[in-house]
Formats: sequence, C-alpha cells, structure tokens
Amino acid sequence: MLLSLFYCLSPAFAEEYTFNISETEKKPYHIGGNLEFKPILFGLDKNTSLYKLKFYNRDEGSAIEEYDAKLQLEGSLEKGIAKFSVKTNTDYKKSYLGEDQQTTVYEGFLSIKPSSSLSIDIGKKTLRWGTGYAWNPVAFIDRPKDPDDPELSLEGFIVASADYIKSFQGPLKTVSFTPVLIPVYNHVNNTFGAIDKLNFAGKLYFLFYDTDIDLVVLPGGSKTTRYGVDFSRNITTNFEIHGEFAFINDYKKKFIDSNGTNFEKEYDAKNYLIGIRYLTEKDATYILEYYRNGAGFTSGEMRDYFGFINKGYDSYVSTGSNALLKKASTVTEGNYGKLNSMRDYLYLRVSQKEPFDILYFTPSVTLMANLNDKSFSFSPELLYTGITNLELRLKVAFIAGERLSEYGEKQNDYRAELRARYYF
Amino acid sequence: MLKIIIVFLSLLIALPVYAIDGTALLKQVDRNLNPESYESYRKLINIEPDGSKKEFTLFTVKKGVDKVVSLFLAPASEKGRSTLRLGDNMWLYIPNVGKPVRITSLQSVVGGVFNNSDILQLDYAAEYNVEKVEEKGSEYLLYLKAKTKTVAYDRLKIWADKSKKLPTKIECLTEANMLIKTLYFKDVKDFGGGIVRPAVTETDSPLYKGYKSVMIFAKLKAKDFKDEAFTLTFMSNIESLR
Repeated sequence: MLLSLFYCLSPAFAEEYTFNISETEKKPYHIGGNLEFKPILFGLDKNTSLYKLKFYNRDEGSAIEEYDAKLQLEGSLEKGIAKFSVKTNTDYKKSYLGEDQQTTVYEGFLSIKPSSSLSIDIGKKTLRWGTGYAWNPVAFIDRPKDPDDPELSLEGFIVASADYIKSFQGPLKTVSFTPVLIPVYNHVNNTFGAIDKLNFAGKLYFLFYDTDIDLVVLPGGSKTTRYGVDFSRNITTNFEIHGEFAFINDYKKKFIDSNGTNFEKEYDAKNYLIGIRYLTEKDATYILEYYRNGAGFTSGEMRDYFGFINKGYDSYVSTGSNALLKKASTVTEGNYGKLNSMRDYLYLRVSQKEPFDILYFTPSVTLMANLNDKSFSFSPELLYTGITNLELRLKVAFIAGERLSEYGEKQNDYRAELRARYYF
Repeated sequence: MLKIIIVFLSLLIALPVYAIDGTALLKQVDRNLNPESYESYRKLINIEPDGSKKEFTLFTVKKGVDKVVSLFLAPASEKGRSTLRLGDNMWLYIPNVGKPVRITSLQSVVGGVFNNSDILQLDYAAEYNVEKVEEKGSEYLLYLKAKTKTVAYDRLKIWADKSKKLPTKIECLTEANMLIKTLYFKDVKDFGGGIVRPAVTETDSPLYKGYKSVMIFAKLKAKDFKDEAFTLTFMSNIESLR
C-alpha cells in the first residue's frame, strides 16, 4: 500500500525525483489561505491639501509608521454537483490612530454545476468583469480595484448568477452568457447603490477570431443604466492588446466650488481604456494602459476642491472652527477621494523576470500619471518568490506633482513598504 | 558496369530513408506520447545550480489537437491557478485576481526553464511541418518547422527511437537556429491502457546555465471531455473535472 503511494521511477532517477501520488488525490474539502505582514513608512508632505484635511489638529512629525497584517482564509466543501466556497479577510492595522481590526466575508456562495455547460452560483461573490489590468470601466457590479495593487482580492456582492457556455467549431469558438441578479436592500448590498431594488446585469462573452469579446449591461435600478464592451487579443505570441468601453446613462456628478457651494451635473459619461501587454525577448513585460474616466473631475473642479480644503484649513487656523474641513471630508468620501477621480490617466508597468539568472526574482517599476495635471506616482518594487509558499515584496512609491494637482496634493511624498505573504 | 551496380545498390540503401513519411511519423510520435484526449498529473521541479528545488503539481486535461487546460494543485501559493490553451490563445486564471488574463506562449507561469507552451503542449504535428527525416543509427532525426509565427519555437529537432517511435531528445531552436532549450525524455513506463511513454522530461537551456527543470508524469489516461471545459468561463471550475 505504501509503495503504491509513490510513483517510483527507475533507480537512476528515483534518488532525484519522486512524485507522491497522494498529492493528486482529490478531497471533498479544501482549507487554505494566506497570512500577510506589511510594515509601511509614509513620508508626509505638510504643505498638501490632503495632509491639512487629515492632520489639521495633530502633528505626527515628518513620517509615520504603520503595521498592517492580513489573514485570508479560504475553504470549500464539495458534494456531487454542489460546492460551497467561502473566503474571509481579516485586516489588522496599527497606526498613529491606534489599533484597528476588521473581519469581512469576501465571498461565500453555493455553486451548482448540473453540467459542464451550466453553473449556478448563489451567495456573495466577486465577478471581476473587464480586460484592463489597472482599471476596469465595464466592471459595473464590482467594487473598484486599487490600480496600485490590481491583483488584490476584493469583497464581492450578494448575487444569484449563472454561466451558460457553448463551444463551436470555426471562427466563433465559444459563447457564454452570465445573467446576474443583485438585490439591494437595507442590509443587503446597501453600498451598491439606491436601496429597495432588484438589479439585473448580464454579460455575453464570445471567443471570435481568437479575440475575447464581452458585451455587458446593467439596465438601471440601483445605478443608472450602463452598457459596456471589452476585448482582448494576442496579436503575436508576445504582444497582447485589450480595451474596454463603458457608456453610463445620466451620470450624476456632485462637485463643489472653492467656496464649498454644492453643484450637481447630469450627463452621459463615456469611460474607456486601451492597453497593451508586451513581452520582450529578454523577458521584460510591459503593460501600458490609457484610461479615460468620463465620469471624473476636470482639473478646474479638482483645483476648486483643493482650494476649498485650504480655505477650511485657513479658517481652522484663524478661528479654530473645523466646520469647513468637516464639509470637505464629507465630499471627499466616495467622491473626490475615489481612486483616480480625474479624467485621463496613463499606466505603465515594466517588470523584468529573473534578471541576472536569479530565479523567482522580479524587479519592476510602475508609473501612474495623471495626464490632465501632469502629476504622478512612480513605484519601483522587488518581488522574490523563491521560497515555497512565501512571497516577499519591497515597494517604494514616490508621489509628485505641482500644487493643486492630484498627486501633488496627496498627504505623502513617498511610501515604503515590505510585504511578506505566506500561503498555507 | 561496376559503377552502375554501386549506384543501384546505393539507391536501394538510401530509398528507405526517403520513403519515410515524416508527417505520419510525427503523428505516430504524438500518439505514442499521449492519447489525443487525456487527463494526467504532472510534477514540475525547478532545480537551481546550488541544488535547491521548487516543485509544482498540476492536473492537466487535453482534448483534440488544440485544447489543453492545467490546474495547479500545489504548492499552496499556486493552488487554484489554471491555464487554458485554445490553439494559439493562452490564458491564466488566478483565483485572487478572479478573472482570466491572456498570457503568451513564451512566458512562464512557473519560472525556470519550462515556458507556457511546454506546460500546455499541443501535438507537435498540430504546430509543425516535417521538413526532413534522417536515420541516425537506432533513431530518427526529424527536422520540424513551425507552421505559423505564433508558435513558441520556430524549429525543432526531434530524436525519436525507431522501434518505440518515442522521442528521446528535442532541441528547440529559433529561426536563426539558435538553441533555446533541450528536452530529454527518460524512463519509459507503462501507464496502463496501452500508454507506454517516458515518465520524465528533463530540460536545460543555454539561456539558464546551471538550471534544470524536470517534468514527471503520472496517472496518464485516455479520457474525453466536453468542449465547454476548455473555455474562459470554465477556468475557475477545472477542479470539477477531477
């Protein structure tokens, strides 16, 4: 019996290589996850608007430390055509504000697969629509991802969805249809949009002439009606092109002038992205994306917002009243404070796989530039995955721009972090 | 007269070489390596010059000439990742990212000497034409040229055992005949169901001096799957095929 557990090779190779067949046995359950520790150093810029907004009544010096830890647990149980999967995320943060801890169920859903053509999922799950790397204008039913770390897990929404797949011969190889129901009520998905609505969304996917094409729709409900299309295609073995286009009907933009007067403007917003992924002969990967955020703020609107914060800060300094700063905080949350809240962005990431013959070592640099005000963040990073199940990443972000520009007004001049993530 | 006899005898000796149907031979090599549709388990081991190793375990399913999908079972950091190949199209699904992204055949999802096209290998006859076949003692030497520019290696030289019609060595070359890597096929095993093939593929590369990667095959058996299993939408569900 023991012998049968090992796939024994001929004596010449048995000493070098063995394949323990027990590794391939399928279990009806799975438990795993990862544990992460991340110390961060923020270099503060005391002249910026967002520093004044956050630190107007405290002095934390020129740099602050933060210690983050994260535990993600994953589990699944499978019986017949049914599988239940769950993923939890626990964040622990120790910063100048003290300690904070929060546990969130990122995903927890039951999946039924009556056949290889059909699956039905019910519960909390992420859908991750779109072909872009840093941004996804067509991800209508996802929480926004962080372009600074696009591969992080995200929390899902409670949905009922299905996938119906059909394969063909010829230029049209695959068609799949994904209808999604998203209930939004007081205690269910209440951050999605207007409550007391049952939303429907749908995605139609084609693999047509070796091109991935998605048509997506969210026909009103908790959010205004939006349509989208995306594509991705390999032009050659080392060159890929992708793009997304989203049309948002009756988008309502809320903004303020430098005196803090509220305005609202309704228009049809067009968001789009075009990008490439290119692999050189020397194993360097370039990801380049241009993102147009038609729902974003103009340079003038952003300058007004920063102007209002500065006015609030001056008012606080001269009168001791933080009323204007509190109002500025309110308009920041979920509005001006959104990631990449302006109009035109460029993303460039260059990563070199295993330079100098150092296996599992990937240095890279990332540039994210706001094309409207010429401000940017530039992040070199070193990634090492040579130790089984351990991932080490050292990353420094330099943030720069003129006064009243998006990156120029960030609270930090730089951020340095070391992330150690262990998978189990 | 003597000259005529010599020429005639030479032709008699040479004729069998020219009579070899290279395409048929390559198809035979393909079939002997794998059934056209199958499932298998593989362990990939990357070995560094200092002897340190990193191992990956994969479940792989292939259907027809152009459909392959692989699911990583170990280590924990890779578990749940899957790769899909449909002809020249390749995608990688990472559970954390939650959606498939297009990858290229020259990249490597595991690092080391094996690249994606080695891991998601199609039939050689599907990607290459046989330019010529030579006989080298107990082996055939097949010279292959890629059918399209999208194939990872422009040229292959395959040494195949004459009696078993199984490869013993493959050199992967660029269009300019520069050696990219060499695959060595070892340890011929009976997998059952009439499948007798090398259980180990070793590879080294002049581009990675001192490094070696090894692929060990197990539980290889003929099996048919629905076409829908080889689609982007299905990539998060590969585990259900096991």
